Amino acid sequence: MILTLKNTFTEIGNATVFAKQFFKEVFVPPYETKEFLKQCYVIGYKSLPLVAITGFIMGLVLTLQSRPTLVKFGAESWLPGMVALSLIREIAPVITALICAGKISSGIGAELGSMKVTEQIDAMEVSAINPYNYLVVTRILACTLMVPILVFFADAIGIIGGYVGINIHGDVNFYRYLTQILQSLEFLDIIPATIKTFFFGFFIGMIGCYKGFNASNGTESVGKAANSAVVTASLTIFIIDMVAVQITDLFF
Amino acid sequence: MDKQSGYTWKLGMFVTIGLLLFVMAIYFIGKQKNLFGSTFNITSQFKTVSGLEVGNNVRFSGINIGTVEEIQLINDSSVVVRMVIKDEVRKFIKTDARASIGSDGLMGDKVLTISPGANSTKVVENNGAIASVNGIEMQDLMKSVKKSVDNAAVITDELAIFSHSMNTGNGALARLVRDDKMANSVSNTLSNLESGTKGFSENMEAAKSNFLLKGYFKKKEKEKEKKKEELKEQKEEQQEKAEKAKEEKAKEEKEKAEKAEKEKAKAEKEKAEKAKEEKEKLEKQKAEEAKKAEKGK
Repeated sequence: MILTLKNTFTEIGNATVFAKQFFKEVFVPPYETKEFLKQCYVIGYKSLPLVAITGFIMGLVLTLQSRPTLVKFGAESWLPGMVALSLIREIAPVITALICAGKISSGIGAELGSMKVTEQIDAMEVSAINPYNYLVVTRILACTLMVPILVFFADAIGIIGGYVGINIHGDVNFYRYLTQILQSLEFLDIIPATIKTFFFGFFIGMIGCYKGFNASNGTESVGKAANSAVVTASLTIFIIDMVAVQITDLFF
Repeated sequence: MDKQSGYTWKLGMFVTIGLLLFVMAIYFIGKQKNLFGSTFNITSQFKTVSGLEVGNNVRFSGINIGTVEEIQLINDSSVVVRMVIKDEVRKFIKTDARASIGSDGLMGDKVLTISPGANSTKVVENNGAIASVNGIEMQDLMKSVKKSVDNAAVITDELAIFSHSMNTGNGALARLVRDDKMANSVSNTLSNLESGTKGFSENMEAAKSNFLLKGYFKKKEKEKEKKKEELKEQKEEQQEKAEKAKEEKAKEEKEKAEKAEKEKAKAEKEKAEKAKEEKEKLEKQKAEEAKKAEKGK
């Protein structure tokens, strides 16, 4: 019992040191621009179809599910505003982050884990390339910047999904739909949600890299690293979300 | 380098569109809140703002044209409200426009409404002030409601006394409503009255044929008939003149051969008219007789 507790704390401590190293190295040259752009492409562009489909379905389903309740109150005209609010404030960031945790975090964990197992990372160190700078910093930075953009896409596509959902039952002009959404939105809805997504991105990348970088020797540890990267990242996303919402609630 | 350019343009597109979405969202929401675009300020002084808050809409002719920017107490009986309004509607707001505070629906937010004035043609200036109309306060409303409720209490009290006396009292009206005997006697009285009037009219008919009174009634009838006949003769003359005029015109237009036919038609027309007149006379006479009978009663 005490041993597991101690192991958990050791793990958290190691992760913190790992994160600290990222902040130390990110501002220090050499900057691996080419690798960074490649990682951005892999993390951002390649995840777009997945995020787009999820976002569309979330918007559509949310509209269809909230409709009966609102119709009961005769508040059907609030549907666009309500769907857009819940999408932008909560659902799009969290769902996108979870999708990214599944796709990116596991990918990074498996990639770095297998590099570690096959001793490629050691080889880098020998050939005077800073593996942390080349592998970890680029990936974490790419994640931190790409996940918010993916969330913007998810927001927009989710709103289009909501439009389709509304037009299944009623008939609303697209311009009127957008006006209703914009009327119900404030900066307070968008800004905290956006700030939140940067943290999501950072932790997705950081946990994937940490798990991969610290994989123990042996082939099975690659699978373990990928698996625990997904689990830990997902859990972290929910914890960050809770904290972020609490802070937003406290200040505004 | 070729390998790199294969994905960089896709990445660039992805990032550009994503950031564009974000910027557009920020821009449109900002536009909604009047943060961007040219605006101007006006102020208005109120006794009370009845719960108006910063960020509430400002309406002009029912259109949202701006938001409430600041609410400030100056002293214990006046509040200054500063509002930000789109520059494009400035030309419609004159110096004698007035601001009032209303409610958007029964449960909705407070809304500041600017109503146009009647006379001024001068456009309101930036940071200018406009007059205010004090809205109906809940207190005032309750006062007037209380007044009418008090009145209603008096009325219902009296109504209660009235209905009580109707049910228990012995007045004529109460007995009429309650008492079966009374009702029966009233209906009997009415039927008696009916038969009485019938008898009376018969008496009158008898009186007409009585030799003592016959002369009087006959005189009257004769006088009336004379008058009618005079009136009718005058009318006939007029009609004949009009017809003659028409006929002359027709003659001029048409050939002589048709004359005979026309004359026949005239004769027929005249006959028909005379018949009508006679009928009318008879009807009038009847009506007069009926009147006389009633008068006699």
